[in-house]
Amino acid sequence: MLVDFRPHARLRSRTPVTVGDSVGPVVEALGASTVDLSRVRVVCDWVQYRQNFREPVEIRPVRDGDPGDDAFELAVDVRRGPEVDLAEATRTALAAHADGTADDGRVLLEDWGPTRHSCLWDFNALYWRELALWEKATGRAYEQALPGGESDARNRDGVRAILAELFAVWDGLADRRALPPELYVVELGVGNGHQARVFLDEFRALDARHGRGYYRRLQYLMCDYSAHVLDMARETVAEHTEHVSSFVLDATRPRSALGFLQFRVFLVYVSNVYDNLPTDEVAHLGGRTYLVESRAHLPAADAAELARSVRATPEQLPGLVHKLLRLGPALLAEAAPGHLDDTDAAVDFWRRTWAAVRLAERYVGLAGLDLYELAPAISGEALRPLLESGADVRMHVSNGAVASFVETLALLHPYGKLVCHDLVVTAVSAYREGFRGPGKYDGSVVNWVNGPLLAHVGRRRGFDIAYAPFAHRSGTNIVTMTAQVRD
Amino acid sequence: MDLPLLPTTVVGSWPVPEWLERIETDHLRRRVSGTQLAEVHDWAVTAAIKDQELAGLDIVSDGELRRDNDVDYLLARIPGIELAGPAKDFAYDYHGTRVRRSPSPPATDPGLGLDADLAFTRARTDRPIKFSFTGPFSLSRRVVDDVHADPADLVRAIAHVLAGVAATLRDAGADLLQIDEPFLAGHPEQVGLAVDAVNIVTRDVDVPWALHVCYGNRYARPLWEGHYDFLFPAVLDAHVDQLVLEFARKGDEDLPVIERSGWDRAIGLGVVDVKSPVVETPELVSTRIERALDLVPPERLMINPDCGLRHLPTAVAVAKLRAMVDGAAKVRARLIG
Repeated sequence: MLVDFRPHARLRSRTPVTVGDSVGPVVEALGASTVDLSRVRVVCDWVQYRQNFREPVEIRPVRDGDPGDDAFELAVDVRRGPEVDLAEATRTALAAHADGTADDGRVLLEDWGPTRHSCLWDFNALYWRELALWEKATGRAYEQALPGGESDARNRDGVRAILAELFAVWDGLADRRALPPELYVVELGVGNGHQARVFLDEFRALDARHGRGYYRRLQYLMCDYSAHVLDMARETVAEHTEHVSSFVLDATRPRSALGFLQFRVFLVYVSNVYDNLPTDEVAHLGGRTYLVESRAHLPAADAAELARSVRATPEQLPGLVHKLLRLGPALLAEAAPGHLDDTDAAVDFWRRTWAAVRLAERYVGLAGLDLYELAPAISGEALRPLLESGADVRMHVSNGAVASFVETLALLHPYGKLVCHDLVVTAVSAYREGFRGPGKYDGSVVNWVNGPLLAHVGRRRGFDIAYAPFAHRSGTNIVTMTAQVRD
Repeated sequence: MDLPLLPTTVVGSWPVPEWLERIETDHLRRRVSGTQLAEVHDWAVTAAIKDQELAGLDIVSDGELRRDNDVDYLLARIPGIELAGPAKDFAYDYHGTRVRRSPSPPATDPGLGLDADLAFTRARTDRPIKFSFTGPFSLSRRVVDDVHADPADLVRAIAHVLAGVAATLRDAGADLLQIDEPFLAGHPEQVGLAVDAVNIVTRDVDVPWALHVCYGNRYARPLWEGHYDFLFPAVLDAHVDQLVLEFARKGDEDLPVIERSGWDRAIGLGVVDVKSPVVETPELVSTRIERALDLVPPERLMINPDCGLRHLPTAVAVAKLRAMVDGAAKVRARLIG
C-alpha cells in the first residue's frame, strides 16, 4: 500500500493536522478489510475549495485494461477529516466498491468520460451565459467571489507597467518606420469591461503625455464568450467607442474570430480565463500513464430533496438538468411549467443542482501519449517532458488553456506580447504538494493552470514564457505569465 | 545546369518530423549514440530527396536534415567559436555561443563537413542540387563577441571561414549554392556589411550563387516585418546571381521595388507560404507567377517556396510542392506554347 500525503505544509502549520488523525483511521479500516493492500493507494489532499465536487472519502478504480483489474485509489480530503468518521466513511466506501453498489441512489448525469467533456463545463458555460440571473439571485457580482473581491486585471499599476513596455516597443518600431498604421490589442474574457476601461483610460492618459498619437491608432478588441456580457462591457467603455470592437468567441478558439489578425497583435491580455476552461487530468502512477475519467452525479440525499423541490422524481432530474444546461433557466421555466413556476424557481433549481453536483473519478490507462489529443493538432507527446522523470504525479493538462494559448500566440506580432493573470501551477512538483482543482467558484469551475505545460508548448513555438507572482497586490495566488518571441 | 523555363526548387530545409527532433534531443542527452543518429539522418535525407523528386522539383536539396538548426550546425564547427551557456533542452534550440578567438579557417576539413553532406546528396540523385548555408551576418548575430572591437570584424572573419567551405562545396560538385540571411531583415541598417561579407564568401568560388533574405521562419513565425526596399541599393553590389525572396505570405507589392531598384539578375520567387498549413492550388501558384511575369522576364525567374519547409507536416509540404510544380508547369506551357 502506498500512502501519498500531499498537503505537507499542513503538518507544520499553526494549527497542524497529523498524519495519524488524517490517515490512521483510513489505514486501519483498510487493514480490517479483505482488499489486496498491495494494490491500494491512499491519497490525501487538502481541498481548499469549500464548494467542490468531492466527498471526504472516495474510491477511484484503476483500469489497466485487464479483466481482473481490482486496483484502486482511496482519496481523502484532509480538510474535512474532522467533520466525518473517517474509518466509517472508509468502510462504507470499501463495501460499496466491493458490492458494486457505489452508484445506488445516485442520480447519474452522464457516462464516464474525459473530464473536459463532463457536463460540469456546461454548468460553467451556463454561468457565464446567464450571469445576470445568477448575480440577481445571489445579490452579488461575480468579482466579489474572487479572492480580494475584484479581478486583478483592474489593478492600475499593473496596467501602467504593461503600457510602459508597449509604448517602448512602439517607439522603437516607429523610429525604424516599421510601426503598422493600426495597433491591435486583444483582451480575452472581457467580463464586465472594467479591465478594458482601466486599460483604455490609462492608455489615453499616457498617450497624451507621450505625444506620439498611439491612441488614435489603437484598436482594442474585446472578446468574450457571452454576447450579453459584451453588451455590458461596451457600455462600460462607451467613452472609447471609436477604438473598441467586440467579438463573441469561445476562448479556446480565438482564431475563429480573430484569424485575420495573425502576426498583427501587439498585446493579448488574458485575465482569469485559462483557469476556467475545460481540462482533463493525467496521472503517471507506477510507471504507467492514465487519463482521469470522471462522471457527474447527484448524491442520493441531495437528489431526493432536489426532486421534491421541483415536483419531480429523482429519475426525472437528469432530463431537467440537461434541459437547463441547454436552454437556460428562463426557457426551462417555460419548457417545464409543471416543475418550475417561473425563472426565479429555475435559477434556484440551477443553483441547488450545482451545489450538489459531485464528480466520481477513475483512472484509465493511456495506450500512448501520441494517441491522446491535448488540443487540436497537439498530441499528448507535449506532456512527455513533464512526465519523463518517472515519478508519480497527477496533474491537469489544461486542454482549453493550451488550445487558447497556442491559437493566441499565432496572433502575436513579432514584437507582440501575451500577458496573462491567472491561477497557475509553476512547477510540476507543486502537483505533489497541493490540490489544484477542480473547485467551484460561485457558479463556475476553477482549475489551476498547468504552467510548465504552457511553458513547454510555448517554447516549442519559439516563445519565452515567464512566470512571476502578481506584483501589484500582496497575498494573492495570482501569477503573471508573459509570452514573448524568443531569439 | 540543364533546366526548364521557370525551374522549381526549394529554399533549403525539409519538414522535420517530431520523432526526428526527439531522437536528436535524445542524442544531446546521451540516450542515442552519434552513430545511430547519423544513420537516422542518412535515411531521412535519402527520403527527403526522393520526396522532392516525386513532387517533381527540378532542383533538390538535402533538406538540411542533419542540422539541429540553421545556426549551430555551422557555428559549432567554426574554429574560434565555443559553445557556452546551458545545454540545450531541445535540438532545435539555439546554443549559447561565444567568440573565444577570432574565427579562422580550420587547418583541416575546410568544408566543416558540409562538403560531405553535399557528396552524400550528390550520390543519391541525378537532379541538380541546391545547397544552402546560413550567411556570415546572421551567424554573427547569434554569437556573444567580446573579442572584436568592431562587430563587423566578426562578420568578416566568419565570411572567410565560409569562403573555404564554399570552395570545398564547389569541388564536391555544387550546382547552386545559396547563402541564407534570415536575420538581416531585422537589421536593415547593416545590409552593406552583410553584402560585403557575402562577397567574401562568393568572390573566388565560381558557381551559381543565390542569396536568400526573408523575414524569419523560426518556429514558422516571422521575426521581423517590413519591406525589401531596405536591401537596395547595397544588394546590387552582391556577387550573387539570384535573390530568393518571400512573396507568398507578404504579397508581391515589393516586386516593383526590386525591379525599379535595378536588379537585373534572377529572382527566386516565393509562391508558397511556408507559415500556413493551407495548401495552395496550382491555379493560385500560376497566378502568382503570372503577376511576377508582368515585371520580370521568365528566364530570370526561379520558382520556390517563401522559405524552408521545416515546420510543415511532410504531407502538407509535399502537397504544396506539387501544387507549385503544377502551377509552374501551367505557366511554362503557356509561355512555350
